[in-house]
Amino acid sequence: MTPLHHLGELLRAILKTIPLTAIRVLFVASLVALLIWVVRLPKSATEPDGGAKRWDENLKIGAAGALLIQIVIYALL
Amino acid sequence: MVFAATNSLTLPDYVVIVLYLIGTIAMGIVIGARMKTGKEFFLGGRRLPWWAIGMSLVATDIGGTDIIGVGGAAFSHGMAIANFEWIGCVPAMIVGAFVFIPFLYRSGVYTVPEFLERRYNVGVRAVMAACWLVFMACNLGIMLLASAKMMSTVFGWNEVGCMLVTAILVGGYTFVGGLAAVVYTDMIQCGVMIAGCLLILVLGLVEIGGVGELRKRLAEADVREAAIVNEGVSVSNAEADSERTSLILPADTESPFPWPGIYFGLALILSPAYWLGNQAIVQRSLGARSEFEARASYIWGALLKNIIPLIVAVPGLIAVVLLPDLSNGDQAIPSLIGVLLPAGLRGLFVAAFLAALMSSMDSYLNSAATIVSNDFYKRFIDRDVSDERLLKVGRVTTIVLVAWAVLFAFLLATMSEKSGIYAVFQTLMAFFQGPAFAVLLLGVLWRRATGQAAFIALLCGIGTSVSLYALNQPDVYGALGWEPLFRIHEPFLYFSIWAFLVTAAVLVVVSLLGTPEPSGKLRYVFGGHTGDTCSPTDTESSAGPAGRCL
Repeated sequence: MTPLHHLGELLRAILKTIPLTAIRVLFVASLVALLIWVVRLPKSATEPDGGAKRWDENLKIGAAGALLIQIVIYALL
Repeated sequence: MVFAATNSLTLPDYVVIVLYLIGTIAMGIVIGARMKTGKEFFLGGRRLPWWAIGMSLVATDIGGTDIIGVGGAAFSHGMAIANFEWIGCVPAMIVGAFVFIPFLYRSGVYTVPEFLERRYNVGVRAVMAACWLVFMACNLGIMLLASAKMMSTVFGWNEVGCMLVTAILVGGYTFVGGLAAVVYTDMIQCGVMIAGCLLILVLGLVEIGGVGELRKRLAEADVREAAIVNEGVSVSNAEADSERTSLILPADTESPFPWPGIYFGLALILSPAYWLGNQAIVQRSLGARSEFEARASYIWGALLKNIIPLIVAVPGLIAVVLLPDLSNGDQAIPSLIGVLLPAGLRGLFVAAFLAALMSSMDSYLNSAATIVSNDFYKRFIDRDVSDERLLKVGRVTTIVLVAWAVLFAFLLATMSEKSGIYAVFQTLMAFFQGPAFAVLLLGVLWRRATGQAAFIALLCGIGTSVSLYALNQPDVYGALGWEPLFRIHEPFLYFSIWAFLVTAAVLVVVSLLGTPEPSGKLRYVFGGHTGDTCSPTDTESSAGPAGRCL
């Protein structure tokens, strides 16, 4: 056993103690945090120059939609 | 060849395949007829629309290897493989759309390594260009092999013939039409691919009796397998391992996809490295009509990505129910075709498979040619090369790469027997994607990162991943008298985590020990630019060390 093996065993032991429910929360919370970031982005980052003339020109809607689907998937599967 | 007899194609199948091929190649030739300069060949003249780029992103990412490999991995390891298309794509694409892609677009570069020279130095550019070139060139061979294996297994076609015909067709329209041909043909290929895979999914679910029945029969399969593992002792449903339908697997799972690898290795490292730093991916967004359209293409791609696992991974689970006795995951999808598709519809799936294969191959061909032409020829051989001459260099490189891909496919055929196609592909990426992402990320976020440190860190990171791979080979750790470093099969996700961490640590330490970069380099750090943006005409040449734009 080398120091690398001992390090690996230590990490493995720590990671095994975390319940899968907490891991699921981690996955979903990461996606929710990203969704909040997207929703708070300024218009200059999400709309074309001169502003959105149609709803689909606001990229926040598409990005939020993609993330919401992800949140549902990781909450359920 | 077991399934070849049941999978013979009929005239309508061939009509569908021929129509698809004619349509694709005709489009490539029509677009190529207007090709006059290197900029048109490598960046589509910066006239590509967001909707075509978005579909091209998805089509490029899903290759023939994925249709066979992801379905095969779902058969062998369960639904966790879908992480690669969901959390392994969507978040990184959205961050890329709003943060990295606009930044790269404004810098006016042709390639990601070119950006790294502007931020760091020519050494970092050369190492990264070489890594991407080797990866893409090898990947071309893997794609050819995957296609030949499938067509040979399912239809009994000659494997060598399949490789040669695919290489000639893809090489032909990529040679003629460049990135624009790649993106527009990818758009068609994306539609054909989704339609063909959807066919398998729908017919499979109908055959089984719906989603509820699929879940029930998968649970029964789990119980049967658990009983075998427990040597005949009866196991209840509750006791049976339900990893087959879960995305999140425990850290000590035997599958290659434990949650630490998926979260830290895939979602936080490999995925952003791929979507923000892979030349074949980023290049098409650099060819967008505007910065807004470059952003929009990534968002559109992220939306489409949500449906991909349903059509490529779920069929692997369907195969568990319908074909429980299969021994090799790579046979799952080809065998499913024989069971599910009647004569006449197999042609559509073959077209879908060819579409997936060709859309990835053409992208890697064009991007590899872009790297050779811009990062090597133009940078090191002839810095004053004309745009017309660069077009010729790009086209000659395309031919050479096609020839190499065929040779490598033959070589690989003798090497990959003990490993799944997908694992080979992922391991190749994991060698340098972690280090590459660490260098890119720290470069754009941290002003103090220096070129010398990035170069040293990049080499250390690649050395780390290659060393870990070598130390995890049974022959090597057996000779050393060691235990394996990793307990899971194919631990490529863990290679990328450690390589990323080593690269980042070395980069920080060496940067702090050295002298800071001059202010010109800091234009390529977030918040460090002057506000000037590049017009398309500013991007004609490789900028010098300080760059010309931003």
